[in-house]
Amino acid sequence: MRKILFVCLLISVEFFSQGTELHVKQGSKNHVEFISDAPFGKFSGVTENIDGYMYWEGNNYTTNSSLYFEVDLKTLDTGIGLRNRHMRDNYLQTDKFPDASFKGKITNVTPAAQGPFKVDADGEMFIHGVTKYIKISGVLTKSGNSDYNLKTNFSIKLSSYNIDIPSIMMVKLSEVIELQLNFNLFSVNKAEGKK
Amino acid sequence: MKLRSIIVLTFLFSLAIQGMAQISWKKQEAVDNLPLQLFHSPQSINLPTAETLQKGDFEFEISHRFLPSIKDGSKNLYGFDGPVNMRLALGYAVTDDLVLTLGRSNVDDNFDLRGKYRLLQFKETFLPLLVGVQFGIAKNTQPIRQIASSGRAYQYFGQIIFNTMIDKKLGIGLVPSYLYNSNIYRADVQNSFTLGMNLQYYISNMVSVLAEFNPTVNGYLNRFNSAAFGFELETGGHFFKIILTNNAKLNPAQFLSGADKDFGNGEWRLGFNITRLLKF
Repeated sequence: MRKILFVCLLISVEFFSQGTELHVKQGSKNHVEFISDAPFGKFSGVTENIDGYMYWEGNNYTTNSSLYFEVDLKTLDTGIGLRNRHMRDNYLQTDKFPDASFKGKITNVTPAAQGPFKVDADGEMFIHGVTKYIKISGVLTKSGNSDYNLKTNFSIKLSSYNIDIPSIMMVKLSEVIELQLNFNLFSVNKAEGKK
Repeated sequence: MKLRSIIVLTFLFSLAIQGMAQISWKKQEAVDNLPLQLFHSPQSINLPTAETLQKGDFEFEISHRFLPSIKDGSKNLYGFDGPVNMRLALGYAVTDDLVLTLGRSNVDDNFDLRGKYRLLQFKETFLPLLVGVQFGIAKNTQPIRQIASSGRAYQYFGQIIFNTMIDKKLGIGLVPSYLYNSNIYRADVQNSFTLGMNLQYYISNMVSVLAEFNPTVNGYLNRFNSAAFGFELETGGHFFKIILTNNAKLNPAQFLSGADKDFGNGEWRLGFNITRLLKF
């Protein structure tokens, strides 16, 4: 009887360790950039403060998959102190909504035997208290034994997230903000962790 | 226990593990590393606030005080006919906490070099508190009258800045100040101690009203304590202030010695400050 219990426990552990879980690697030159390209000038806000995870089971990346990434908007740096403060206090209201986040699942992966492959995800983008359903594609590259790199570019409309476009700014802000993310992840799986 | 029930239990157990603990990622506790910021502008009307700039920022200032009082009326176009005192200055943020500013006024061709340092911040107290210090040296390069010795052309000042803010709307400042050699034309060296205070109420993201009072508590006083009030417009890179004051001096070493007009008698003068943030 004990043997059976033990085997069953092993099976359940085996079940448990089937998934692959990646965490954002802190302090690895992660780069998140919000770019405003308006007629009278281009500027961007940059931060390295991104956190979150990706998870999937098996080999097709989509089974029971989930992913969540959050960016600390308080640390966005546009290069000018006063502009950062206006962005935080007047437009993004980071006291109330400190993070922008995306929570979703992997819908499709364009496989590649080696090198980078394309990952499609859809889910909920949360910015400034507003949640929108969007689709994002990125490129995931295995960059080491248990290290990965994820790059993605997409755009958001400020009005979709109830963010007022400042009428008087030193540089006019664009209605469409382009996001560029390039950050590193590492696998936290026990099996790989032992290596 | 039957074998089947064990298998079912195990299966449920493994599902439970998966449901509960399949993702080990945890949200980090938010840490607030941002420096405390209270007043929006590094400067009230003449008194400093404890705010600094971000490292690498420049700030250009041009300020005017029209000498005729508004009491003189349309004859001098409420002061706009001049003459006018002016100040030009350029500040540079050496670090996030230290700003160096070089300024010049046309009064006695006074140059000043000052450094402002953000010293302490208390975020978790009943009211937030920001403490800064400012020190400066000024040289009157072309005094309009004879001064006793060339050494008397130099003036020194120091200020401690206490700032707090209520509900992100009402900024309150207390600025005890010391000025050495308050009147360069006097035969003996004079000192002035003043207790500057300023209030600023932020009506919206763009508009605020502000007032300042700088009574001399000890030492030399020109004639009257200084008072000023006005409003401030704030844009992405500018602070634009239009004010009324009884003190037409602009550089700190000259302003701190007191005013020559009596606001009690309605002798207010028009003035403005414009500061522009620059980044190269």
